[in-house]
Amino acid sequence: MAIKNEDKLCSIDSIQNNFESLNYICSPEIATAVYLSYHLEKPVLIEGPPGVGKTELAKTTADMLGLPCIRLQCYEGLDESKAIYEWKYGKQLLYTQVLKEALREILGGAKGLSDSVAKLHEFGDIFFSEDFLEPRPLLKALQEEDSCVLLIDEVDKSDHEFESLLLEMLSDYQLSIPEIGTVKAIPDKKPIIFLTSNNSREISDALKRRCLHLYIPFPDSELEGRIVKARIPEIPERLRQQLVRFIQELREMDLKKVPAISETIDWARTLLLLHTESLNPDLVRQTLNVILKFQEDVETVEAELQSITHRAIKSI
Amino acid sequence: MTQMQDTLVDFIKVLRTADIKVSPAETLDAVQTVDIIGIEDRQCLKNSLSLVLSKTPEEKVAFNDCFERYFTFDKMQTTTLGLTAPPPMPIGDASKDGEFAPEVTAKTNSQHQAGGGDGGGDAQDWSQSDAEIDFEPLSPSSVLGKLLLDGNRMEIMIALAEAGREINVKQIVVFTQKGLYTRKIMEAMGLQCLQYEVTELQAGGSRPEIHLAGRLKNARDLLREQVRDYVEKQFLLHADESGRQVREELLRKVKLSNLEKRNVKQVQEILLKMAKKLIAVHSKRRKTFKRGQLDVRKTLRNNMQYDGMLFHIKWRSQKVDRPKVICICDVSGSVSNYSRFLLMLLYSLAEILPKVRSFAFSSDLGEVTQLFANTTLEDAMAKTMRDYGNGSTDYGQMLMDFKSHHLKDVNQKTTIIILGDARNNYGEPKAEILREMYDKAQHVIWLNPEPRSSWTIGDAEMKKYAPCCHQVEVCNSLLHLEGVVSNLLRRSG
Repeated sequence: MAIKNEDKLCSIDSIQNNFESLNYICSPEIATAVYLSYHLEKPVLIEGPPGVGKTELAKTTADMLGLPCIRLQCYEGLDESKAIYEWKYGKQLLYTQVLKEALREILGGAKGLSDSVAKLHEFGDIFFSEDFLEPRPLLKALQEEDSCVLLIDEVDKSDHEFESLLLEMLSDYQLSIPEIGTVKAIPDKKPIIFLTSNNSREISDALKRRCLHLYIPFPDSELEGRIVKARIPEIPERLRQQLVRFIQELREMDLKKVPAISETIDWARTLLLLHTESLNPDLVRQTLNVILKFQEDVETVEAELQSITHRAIKSI
Repeated sequence: MTQMQDTLVDFIKVLRTADIKVSPAETLDAVQTVDIIGIEDRQCLKNSLSLVLSKTPEEKVAFNDCFERYFTFDKMQTTTLGLTAPPPMPIGDASKDGEFAPEVTAKTNSQHQAGGGDGGGDAQDWSQSDAEIDFEPLSPSSVLGKLLLDGNRMEIMIALAEAGREINVKQIVVFTQKGLYTRKIMEAMGLQCLQYEVTELQAGGSRPEIHLAGRLKNARDLLREQVRDYVEKQFLLHADESGRQVREELLRKVKLSNLEKRNVKQVQEILLKMAKKLIAVHSKRRKTFKRGQLDVRKTLRNNMQYDGMLFHIKWRSQKVDRPKVICICDVSGSVSNYSRFLLMLLYSLAEILPKVRSFAFSSDLGEVTQLFANTTLEDAMAKTMRDYGNGSTDYGQMLMDFKSHHLKDVNQKTTIIILGDARNNYGEPKAEILREMYDKAQHVIWLNPEPRSSWTIGDAEMKKYAPCCHQVEVCNSLLHLEGVVSNLLRRSG
């Protein structure tokens, strides 16, 4: 393939570095996935707990390559008319009305039915041509002249039927439209496709087979530290370490929803706003609602808050 | 490259025995990936293959395991590639972290000392032996001998792997075969010629000859060590898994109450696997087209050809979800042997069917849907047993409870599954309530862990309950469970 800024994809290290300069800190696995996706021309299915940067990865890739990011948000009931294409009914109707007036001129004195029909045939299927086609995200992604990044977000939220609909696109980078034929991606400009899933239901094997499968887990403390630093450079070093340690310990606990990276970052921002230099139990208690989203969880953590905070402070 | 492909195909076979589903298409992807990535960077190769071949978090874990076990070999090859004819090293133990050189040398030395006793004692250390001796060393004449003394590590490894492939070491099934396969591989590599040569040399009696014989003997002993390790590893990779399959197959047929505690974990895995399989087969939702709302868009689209006159009216399609399932599970003393498994089934069902409501009872009925949805199987089971378990059974009370609280939720789309032995301690059976449920629900299924012959003996009330159910089944092994669940899903799907 030959797309804009291709050189940025030339090696795994260069992807990692480029991501880093865009403040997206990633593990080698993630960079490998992007690298392979481009060179094998295969979509990437990204799974992992919410808030670990699945969607962000697609957006950052688009950013890095300077390509548009076309996003298709999946939901129950999403169908081809919203994902692939739709005819412009209004326009078609309007044109038929206009044409009715002009019919006599067009037929131009053709005599008899067969003559008229033959004449009409000359016009072909104008009403079902590209002029009357309203492209939706998938089709748009194929038609994009400089390639693009296609993000199919939360594919697990869509129906089974829709999943099957995606298969053609994912394996052959093409879509079949009955009235027009097959639309193929421009050679060498195939879109880079990312699918994300929160695993709310099992994705079918057929779809998985066509994709690279990337699982993004919660980051370890070192990586998370770097992420926080990249996102919020002005945070004091000590606070950053304490905060990461605290969050890492929370992830070990039995909570309904453990804090994700986005929550870590939110919390770091909050603490920064409060001009905090170092964690202390009271402060943590007051800001706990930033990282925990269920009252039950807050109560569980509050019981052990003192000891966790002390561990987080002390171990540095 | 073909060498790598063979290795890759073998590796994928190993993955398959470890329950990772790899399709032929994915195999091709893997080959392509290796082309792009190369095999120099092990970590990178692992990441890449993991992306292509393993497609769920569980599979990723299994994949890592397999990769570590399978490719330790290759690492040895690449790391020792630069050295020419180093002493053969034992393979098995030194592969974990790459920092194996010092330990291995130590080990080799000690092995030499051990082997030196019967080998004549002149070659204590290979790396130095050549420098110490004061005569022209002879070179070995047999193929294997040459390979061992002059070939580099990789050549030996390749020869070993090839011999393994030749005699089909992959078919090893039980550990007692290890010795057999070790010998077979040695023979395939040309052991006999080597033995012959050693005997000849010893018979010759001159110093260089004896020296060479000693070296060859040592080399042979070390090779045997390696082959043993190799076979051991092949056994772990191949046989362990097929052994497991055999065990699973057996477990499926054993009666649930006879299963021992230590097997419980495995049964649980089987149940989950079963559940997953069932999900995969049955999770399609059906759409039925019923008259509902007018679909303006579709109507316009379809009537375009009639000049906008609305001939064909189109209606919005209406989706029909899978039916609701209500599960009622007996956890009283009389079925205590079974209740663990009944609960396990209940739990797996809750995973398969999104709209399942679970109840447990000894006498009073309690809903455990939330508990099952939010906690792990062990927790859920323990809590259920604590709250409702091991009392004396009272089906009548249970049915009355159900009637007063939940009967209003039963409609024509509901399937009710009752798991229990129907032993009512001679209490009031209240079969009429079950009849009421039967009339309202789409389906009532009773799964009884006892064999049919004892359904009417003693305090069992199955005779009264059975007519009020659409389906009554014996269910006391995993095979039964599988059949029943799959039937249920087929009907509802």
